[in-house]
Amino acid sequence: MLQYPEPIAKLIDSYMKLPGIGEKTATRLAFFTLDMPQDDVDDFAQNLHDAKTKLHFCSICGNITDQDPCVICSDPTRDQSRILVVEQPKDIMALERMNEYHGLYHVLHGVLSPTTGKGPEDINIKSLLTRLQQHAEVKEVIIATNATPEGESTAMYLARLIKPAGIKVTRLAYGLAVGSDIEYADAMTLIKAVEGRQEM
Amino acid sequence: MYLDALTLRHFRNYDSLSVTFSPGLNILLGENAQGKTNLLEAIYVLALARSHRTHNDHELIEWGADSAEVTGRVVKSSGTVPLALTLTKKGKKATVNHLEQPRLSSYLGQLNVVLFAPEDLNLVKGAPSARRRFVDMEFGQMSPKYLYNLTQYRAILRQRNKYLRQLHYHQAHDLVYLDVLSDQLAGFGAEIIHTRQVLLDRMMVFADHLHGEITQGKEKLTFRYVLPNELADAHTAQDLYQALLALYKKLRDREIDQSVTLAGPHRDDVTFITNGKDVSAFGSQGQQRTTALSVKLAEIELMKEQTGEYPLLLLDDVLSELDTVRQTHLLATFQSKVQTFLTTTDLSGVAEDIVHDPRIMTIADGQLTVTAPGAGHADSE
Ligand SMILES: Nc1ncnc2c1ncn2[C@@H]1O[C@H](COP(=O)(O)OP(=O)(O)O)[C@@H](O)[C@H]1O
Ligand SMILES: [Mg+2]
Ligand SMILES: [Zn+2]
Repeated sequence: MLQYPEPIAKLIDSYMKLPGIGEKTATRLAFFTLDMPQDDVDDFAQNLHDAKTKLHFCSICGNITDQDPCVICSDPTRDQSRILVVEQPKDIMALERMNEYHGLYHVLHGVLSPTTGKGPEDINIKSLLTRLQQHAEVKEVIIATNATPEGESTAMYLARLIKPAGIKVTRLAYGLAVGSDIEYADAMTLIKAVEGRQEM
Repeated sequence: MYLDALTLRHFRNYDSLSVTFSPGLNILLGENAQGKTNLLEAIYVLALARSHRTHNDHELIEWGADSAEVTGRVVKSSGTVPLALTLTKKGKKATVNHLEQPRLSSYLGQLNVVLFAPEDLNLVKGAPSARRRFVDMEFGQMSPKYLYNLTQYRAILRQRNKYLRQLHYHQAHDLVYLDVLSDQLAGFGAEIIHTRQVLLDRMMVFADHLHGEITQGKEKLTFRYVLPNELADAHTAQDLYQALLALYKKLRDREIDQSVTLAGPHRDDVTFITNGKDVSAFGSQGQQRTTALSVKLAEIELMKEQTGEYPLLLLDDVLSELDTVRQTHLLATFQSKVQTFLTTTDLSGVAEDIVHDPRIMTIADGQLTVTAPGAGHADSE
């Protein structure tokens, strides 16, 4: 059987390591790469390399960053009295896009989930507690873990650890998507929205 | 509600099928292993997005095919709703009115069914898990909130059992986290128990009435929801939550020792009582069957009360198991109100004087032929 020359076979192999990419797509991408201008290919290779070697986690908040502490943690104009806790770095990107929240963040890098081997020591909780001990100016911790059973357990667990220190702990509200029709909301969303209704 | 039309592609031994039904009685006639149960199963799957006889969706896909499709048109008092379900080896996709539903909870409840298969005759006597499954399936169809509580409860239960095991083997030590899991579990568990108690009480009223008719007034049927003594005096969801929390506290060492959650709705049971006696222990086989029948029929009335529409009744090979009196009851009670599908190998097993102009379909090797169109049928429109 005819084999691809080694360099392209290896490139196909590399593409196949990406999520959701099978052999067919990987082959297509590999041949596309061969047709790309040399400069673009060089940039591509350099970017892949830099993303892995130059980025690391912020030693304070756990966000991905190319400087330590990250831009948010080292920005003195941000509200130092509030920390918003998220599961993943990409959640911070989503929250920053709304340009409404100007406090600090903390990334857990996961949620509590014994079935996938994540206990309290396995996610970034200890560093949050240390942060709260060292920074008495923090008055509120806002928990923005996902609305899954595990996200909920993690939120409750954090609340139990943090509240005794006299720090206010809040949780993001669930509700209807803005601009959406009640008619098209699914049952679960509606149930949560009704439970979380507010007096006017 | 009734199912007006059904289309199957690569479902079990149906390569391709398109059929319309009578809003009344539909009889599926055929030898064994021809596809009668498969057709009832397709209707069940369209309603509940899962099968009653396998957990593995792969088995539903025709051998050699990549995906199966079940499409149907449901007629309700509020209008006609097209439903479609695609099962692939990777997962399933459900649409209502051609709109894809992101969650199961938003799909269920569009088409409601009550299935009565030979194994249901064991409902009374069988394992407690069979009664819990029965209760969960039925109440899940009536209440999206019940279904939601159930899925949350199961997810937390899995995590909690795993964590108890880790505590047991000293791979974990944090008891605050265990308390959190207990608290969450107690919250959803209390809601589930409360709903079960409320709906079972309603169902009991219907079941006792039907049971009286079937036994010609000789037997009185009641249910008892069986749960730990510690929860016996709790009557509201809030009381149940507090009682469950206290119980988890009390059971903590034993639970860690055994690496398993020892209390909650996943351990409860329902007992059926006729004339003051537990039917599973003291009833004859005939009494157990009659009780199972009353309970199933009561479910139909309960669904009507809770959702405003009668469900479909699917009867798989059960007629031959019942004597003429009970057969008559089953068919006569609901015949004008409830769309019914029944499978049989032999029409002589059906008490003919009680069925009005059924639509009869003969099934052989995954092929369906209409042998009698039946009254009020969609074809004649
Ligand atoms: N996934 C499948 N693909 C093709 N045929 C199947 C599949 N699953 C079951 N069958 C066939 O369906 C038939 C059983 O149909 P069933 O509806 O249970 O019979 P009955 O008419 O006795 O109720 C058997 O012949 C079996 O081989
Ligand atoms: Mg069968
Ligand atoms: Zn930072």
